[in-house]
Amino acid sequence: MKFFYIFLAIILFTFQGCTTKEANPEFNHTHIKTDAMTSDPLTINTTDDQKKENQTEEFEEEFNEEFEEEFSEQETNTASDPLSGYNRWMTSFNDTFTLYALNPISEAYATIVPQPLRLGLSNAVDNIQFPIRFANNLLQGKFQNSSDELGRFIINSTVGLAGLIDVATNQMTTPIPAHDEDFGQTLGYYGIGSGFHVVLPFIGPSNIRDIVGITADAYLSPLVNVRGLENYKIPNNLGQTIGIYSVHTINKTSLHLGEYENLREDAVDLYPFFRDIYEQKRNADIAE
Amino acid sequence: MLKKVIIFLFLSVISLYAVEERNIQKVMDSKVRQVLDILKNKTLSQKQKDQKNVRIIDDVFDYSIMSQISLGKRWKTLTKNEKTQFSKAFEQKIKHSYLDKLRLYNNEKVIIKNLKKVKTNRITLETLVIGLDDTYKVIYLFYKKKQNNQWYIYDVELVGVSIIQTYRKQFSEFLKTKTVKQLIESL
Repeated sequence: MKFFYIFLAIILFTFQGCTTKEANPEFNHTHIKTDAMTSDPLTINTTDDQKKENQTEEFEEEFNEEFEEEFSEQETNTASDPLSGYNRWMTSFNDTFTLYALNPISEAYATIVPQPLRLGLSNAVDNIQFPIRFANNLLQGKFQNSSDELGRFIINSTVGLAGLIDVATNQMTTPIPAHDEDFGQTLGYYGIGSGFHVVLPFIGPSNIRDIVGITADAYLSPLVNVRGLENYKIPNNLGQTIGIYSVHTINKTSLHLGEYENLREDAVDLYPFFRDIYEQKRNADIAE
Repeated sequence: MLKKVIIFLFLSVISLYAVEERNIQKVMDSKVRQVLDILKNKTLSQKQKDQKNVRIIDDVFDYSIMSQISLGKRWKTLTKNEKTQFSKAFEQKIKHSYLDKLRLYNNEKVIIKNLKKVKTNRITLETLVIGLDDTYKVIYLFYKKKQNNQWYIYDVELVGVSIIQTYRKQFSEFLKTKTVKQLIESL
């Protein structure tokens, strides 16, 4: 009798193993069926088989509708795209620029400047943009986030040597998280729609709402020159602003080499791909 | 007595294999760890790494459901032959893209956060990938398969961008002007 139990256990084990090892049983199922259908249609055309097939199809249908609903709810709205011709052209311009200018320059830059230094520069630029995050968290009524940002700014600007080291994230026992918010997100937070999609030269995908956002944030950013606010701003003219942003962009890209090429591989068609991931990302940022 | 033993055996065996609700976190944790170990292993060639990694994710990713969702309503209009062809091509595309992303791996840490039950048959698992200068949120979306009550991944959200949603959008745009056959070829 004992042997019988052991035997039973072994049988059960092997059966379970078989069923779970099939990574996608549904797929195999249909695959086998089509093969049989094409090679010998006579043997398979019994009513029993058809009944079963109909049942699974019904089952699939009901199931797919659930997914269909879920995914169409989240779909980004791109119904109106009046600038699509221009956008398409600008996307391929930016793409060429990134592949043949920005990336090679960043690669060369990465071989010259050691990584800790590049990381430090990236941190410092983030740190100095603190007014944007602080103000926009306040504007959205996220007071805890604003106070987190203020704490981060004070700690990183002092102990973190003018923002070169992100002490608040990396060296504290209870790290203070960053809360990235900009004016585009604030507008979205108050229910303002994205408007149509616009691809900006060098900057990349954007939309009407976010262009307004970038403009408003530029007044708050110490890194963009604005006439009348010279005391607060670091650059004195447009040339210096562009210089700062060029270095920042090259520096940032040098920390993410290969990522752009990798991402664009997933595209069937470059422009709608970048448009969609940008809008999805912004919607997610606003919802956060 | 015999009945009890059989039931007991049956139950214990099932829980060993199936990705059950309470096991999701554990299973994913071990899978992430395995993948990271493979990526860090310097004795393996790129090809070996790819093969091993694919094997690890194969039984939690439901490629066939992914390919169906990515086509949306158009799926029903496909012939059986097209369905199998498309599923095959899409599976290849997803795997290729996944392995490509892994190739960028640069000692990032992965933290598995909490499981959230969205609906009776939907669960999301949030993870954080800690990179050099940024932290990225990666969410795995699971659904419960009715046929065997196991949980499978049907989508992954990278920093708020759903992979399957992105394909859906692209495919629907593509199919406005071109045929399914062309789509399968372009994959």
